Order: sequence, then structure tokens, then C-alpha cells
Amino acid sequence: MLQTVSVNIIRILFLILLQALVVSRVQLFDGLIFPWIYIFGILMLPFETPRWLLIVFSFFIGLTMDYFSGPIGLHTSACVFLGFMQTVVQQLLAPREGYDLTQRPTVQRMGLAWYVTYAGVLTLAHHSWFFFMEVFRFSDFFYQIFHLLLSSLATLILMTIGQYLIYNSKGAQV
Amino acid sequence: MKNILALLRRFYLFLLFLALEAVALTILFRNNRFHGAEFMRHSSDWVGGIYTQRAQLSEYLRLGEINDQLSLENALLRSVAQENYWNLRTEAATLQDSNSVQRYVYRTAKVVNASVNREKNYVVIDRGSLGDVRADMGVIASGNIVGVVRSASEHFAVVMPVIHSDFKASVRLRKSGAFGSLVWRGGNAQLADVIDIPKNIPVAPGDSIVTSGYSTYFPANIQVGIVEWVDDSDNDYHLIKVRMGTDFRKLDHVLVVSDIFKLEQDSLLNKVEEQDAANSKR
Repeated sequence: MLQTVSVNIIRILFLILLQALVVSRVQLFDGLIFPWIYIFGILMLPFETPRWLLIVFSFFIGLTMDYFSGPIGLHTSACVFLGFMQTVVQQLLAPREGYDLTQRPTVQRMGLAWYVTYAGVLTLAHHSWFFFMEVFRFSDFFYQIFHLLLSSLATLILMTIGQYLIYNSKGAQV
Repeated sequence: MKNILALLRRFYLFLLFLALEAVALTILFRNNRFHGAEFMRHSSDWVGGIYTQRAQLSEYLRLGEINDQLSLENALLRSVAQENYWNLRTEAATLQDSNSVQRYVYRTAKVVNASVNREKNYVVIDRGSLGDVRADMGVIASGNIVGVVRSASEHFAVVMPVIHSDFKASVRLRKSGAFGSLVWRGGNAQLADVIDIPKNIPVAPGDSIVTSGYSTYFPANIQVGIVEWVDDSDNDYHLIKVRMGTDFRKLDHVLVVSDIFKLEQDSLLNKVEEQDAANSKR
């Protein structure tokens, strides 16, 4: 239990530093593609996490990210939304016999189709909230939509690759 | 009963979501007027420290390029130094010229953090009020404008660069002297817009845009960039795209410009404006 908590906290801190120091510095096509990979840490929280804790935890992850990037409150609000959506999406995508609480939402355990639906919907939810809160205007509407979709896709691809790097074929943590 | 409990359970999560979201949005919109959070965050010691480390690493990796830039600038400065000029008139040999006094002072600073991908980008430099860097000073790099200092703590200052959607500066065409406003509307970090130049003034790609010197942020004739293309489809004014001389992705060493006459110029203007306002009321 204690190990699960500390592993998740360390992973999230690592992802936030990776985001702030490396990923945010990479400019693809003049900022057209801008992935926020730190949400991987929220998506990977085990199913046994109490749902209220998931939302509270997301709040603090967003706050930490805000300290590195963006006006304070921006990532916080997007992450709270993500945390809430995650509880909803997990319920909607639950297998008929329910989740095995010791599992994690990984490709290896849940299958690629399940994972892509799960992570795709949540990434899009987080990124949409974030981009519309940040830009908050409707000029260049199609550019913004394009930006949003490509960035979400990039985040999703990076997270899926990250999955294969972190977990072995049985879904246990390396 | 079971259904009501289930409903309550879902409802309680939603309430928690609403409460935390309210907290987050309150923080966001209360601090959006820049001064509070933006400043606190960039100047807070631990985040500032991490970003300083990163800047040091990337600076080390680019030392060669930086050296080239600096030696080029040294050569330029050396070529305009007083002792390079042959004095034609011996009676005017004194350098203590009472006709001119120094107006602008330059201080060096290093960039510790910068963003380029956002709508509102910021640059953080490692000089603050202890190094006499204050709000409303101009910042330039290798002779090109970078932005204006917005606020300073003891050791750091936050600069609003040209690539910030609220940035505005007075600029002019070097060739014709016509002046307009420099703004940036998001997207490409190399291209800014110059607006408010009327259509009867000829503008062609390749023309230089420089600062006007009307504001107290920058001296006159600091390079802004080169006209990339001109769009005349709008009715009265040119829309000019400018390729900026500063590469915001590669900022390292910058100069902070402070105007010694700033207080004098601003207070004089304020006085006249107040008088005019009082006159029009009467």
C-alpha cells in the first residue's frame, strides 16, 4: 500500500519535471503540437484509488504543474476536470465482472482497444479544457481545433509508448 | 434505497469536483492580472533554482555559438569606439562634451527560463531589484528587442517578450520613418505584426523595422526585424508581418536598458495631460 502510494508520487514528480524541463521545450511545427504528458501520472493511478482521492490528488498534481508553467490555476482546473472525468470514464468502461482492484489501467492488463479508448477520451477531455481555458477566444477557431487534436494525439502516442517502457508483458511494474 | 444511495454517491463526487474546480478557477482568474502568481512562481526559490540549473546546462552545450555571438558584438562595439576615429578638427578633441549626457544605461543579465509556445509567453532573467533591474525597463539581445520587464524580485525579473499577446511597442520603418505599433497574435514565435501604418506609405519585404524611441522602454533605432510580407486586403492600414531578429528559442545573454530620463519624461507628460483634462472639464 505504502509502496504503491510512494511509487505513484515519485512517478508523477518525475513526469512533471520531464514535462517542464524537456517536453515543454520541444517545439514541433511552431507550437502546433504541444503534448502535456504529465497527465500520464493521473491516468496510471491504480483502480483501487478511492474516487474522491483521485480528484483531490489531481488537484495537487495540477497545482504542482502550475508552479512550473502557466498562470496558477490553469493546470489545476484542467486536472480536476480530468480527475472527475476519469471516475466517470472508468465506470462507463468497466468490464461486466468489475475491475480487479489490484490491476492498473495498462495495455497489458486491459487490452490495447480498452486503453486507447480510456486514455484517448481522458486526454482529449483534459486538453480541451486546458486549451479553451488558456486561449479563451474563438478567432483562429480551426487552427485551435487542429492544435488540440494533434496535441492530444501526440500525448496519447507518447503515453502508449511510455506504457511499454514501464510495464513488462504481464503488466507488472518493472 | 440502493438507487438513492448510488445517486448520492455520484452526486457527492460531482460536488467535490465543483468545489475544487471553483477553487482552481478562483485562483486562476484572481491572479490573471499577472502580478501575483506569475511573479511569485518564477521567483520562488526552488522552481527558480531548478530552471537555473537547466539554463546552465543548455548554455554550456551552446557555448561555442554564444562565444561567436559575443565576439561579433565585441567587434562591432570596438569599431564604434572613440579611439578608432581620426579627429579632423583638433580644437574639438575633448570627450567631455557638455552638449550630450548619457541617457541609457545597459546591464547584462542571463535568461533562466523562457516559454515560446504559449499565448502569453514570459522570459525570466537572473537580475532583480538587487541588480537595479525594475519594472518597465526594456530588454534587448544582440541589438534586437526582446521585451519589457514586468516585475522584479530581489534576484529575478520577469520579462514580457514581444511574443506575449498583450505586448505593444511603438516602432517605425527605418526607410520612411513612418511609425506604427508592434503586436503579436500567437502562432509562430518568429513572426510579429506591425499595424497602424497607413497605406499611402510604401512598404516592401526586406525593409527594416526599428524602435521609434517614443516610449521610454527602448532607445530609438534598436532593430526589431525585417518585413516578411505585407497584406493590403484590409481597408486603410497595412498589415505587415515582421520576421524578428531575436530568436526567442535561443535566448541566453540579454541586456536590460534603463532610461535615466524616464521619470522626467513620464512626469512631464502626466502633468500636461492632467492640465488638459482639467481644462476640458472647465
